[in-house]
Formats: sequence, C-alpha cells, structure tokens
Amino acid sequence: MIIILSETFLLNYLIAIVTSIIIAIGIKMPVLPEKPRRFSWTNSALFPTPIIAIGLLAICFSIKFLWIYDGMVLAMIIGIISPLVVKYLFNYVFPNPPVLLEEENE
Amino acid sequence: MNELLGVAIAAIIAWLNFVIIDTLMGLPEVPGVQGADIVGRSIKNRGGDLAGGFFQGNILCSPDASAGTLLASIGVMLIGLEGGLIAALFVFIGNRLCADPGFAGTTGALTMTIIVVCFSHLGFTPEMFIVGMVIAITTIQGIHHKTSSKLIGNIAKRMGRYTKLN
Repeated sequence: MIIILSETFLLNYLIAIVTSIIIAIGIKMPVLPEKPRRFSWTNSALFPTPIIAIGLLAICFSIKFLWIYDGMVLAMIIGIISPLVVKYLFNYVFPNPPVLLEEENE
Repeated sequence: MNELLGVAIAAIIAWLNFVIIDTLMGLPEVPGVQGADIVGRSIKNRGGDLAGGFFQGNILCSPDASAGTLLASIGVMLIGLEGGLIAALFVFIGNRLCADPGFAGTTGALTMTIIVVCFSHLGFTPEMFIVGMVIAITTIQGIHHKTSSKLIGNIAKRMGRYTKLN
C-alpha cells in the first residue's frame, strides 16, 4: 500500500499552517513558548496553533468536506479560527496547568 | 517485502522515534504528575534508574511520543495522511487533559506520520509500524523494568536530559 499525497491537499495544509501562524502573531500571541520550552504551558503561534489548524482541516478532508476551490477557502477559514480558539477558548476547554509541589509548599 | 523483516525494521524505527523524542522533550527529567513520580521511585527502589523510572512513569500517565507513534500509525492505516494529522490533534488534546504540555506526543505523532508515509514507498505497510510499535513499547514497559530504566537513564545522560532530582 503506497500512500500517495495530493499536491493540492499538501498546499491546503500549508495554507492553514501559514494563516494560523500569521493570525496568531496578529492577535499578539507569543511566537514561541518561554524557556525551557519543553516544560512550558504557554500557547504560542508555533505550538499548538498550527497543530489544531491542520488537525481540524484533516477532519474536514477525511469526511470529504472540501467546499469551494478544492478546500483552499476552508483551509484559510480554519487557519483564521484556530488561533482565535487557542487564545480565547482554550482555557475554558482544557484544565489549568498542574500546580507544582514546591509552589504549594511556599 | 517480507512481513517479519518489515515488522522487525519497523519496530527499530518506532523504538528510536519515541525514545529519542520523549528523551529530548525531557520525560526523564521531571515527573509530570504525581503518578509518574511514584512509578519512578518504585522502579528506583527495585534497583532501577530514577530518570528511566520517571520516563516510564510519564509515558504511563499521559499519551507521549509512544502513544503518538502508535496512534499515528493506526490513523495512517485507516485514512491515510489525514489520519496521522487527526491523531496528532487527538494526542495533543489527550496530553492537555493529562497534565502534560503536549510537545512530545504531538511531535511523535507528526514525525511518525511522515515516516509511515515515506516508508510506504519502500514496501512497508502502516500495519507493520503498529505491530512494531507494540513490540517497541513492550521492550520498555513490559519485559524488565530494571534493565530498561537503566538503558533509558544512560540515553538520557548522553542527551543531557538526566534528572536532577534525588
């Protein structure tokens, strides 16, 4: 089973990633999480905004929902929506970061 | 390609993928939740390595690169590239619900999606990677905790991610 990738689909994912990063920077989200990055809980323009954008786009494509222009408009809309979701809706959906034991002791 | 040979190579690739990404993302350094701390110290008390124990506790308590690797392979098997990307999104959601920032799981799922798609051109099927990943995770979590935690501890030391906790 060879998995062949359609160039249009790849272009759509690229559009969603680029749009989401640009919009995220536009609404003043940090570009990268603060250091040390691997333990950071800050939502930034590079993580997790593009992951949510391509995940949502992949769900739409998997149910064959492309809408107009082979999915390009959909990719842009999802690219615009995902940073807004990450910035304004994220804390309602996901629990807050756990409080460390050392902080509790203080 | 011969199925057994394919599974063996896929197991090695999956093992390297999740161990390298999980170690780079700091799983052996600190336990993300209390459960991981308990697992790590229990493994240490039985003669294992603390950093390796934290690593095992962390992958037990939240979906890290190991789960990402497995779910991405399953996603690609079911619906192609989209499946891997959906798996990455779901692993991220799972991470955030399990008190984990989500870097390791999402990166693991995305790299495995790319690997499975690329290796499909060499005759590897996503099923081989699913079986390979199950074998890979068994070598860490299922056979001998003492030895596997020491191995992970050594890898963490070489990659500069050894725990500073006692």
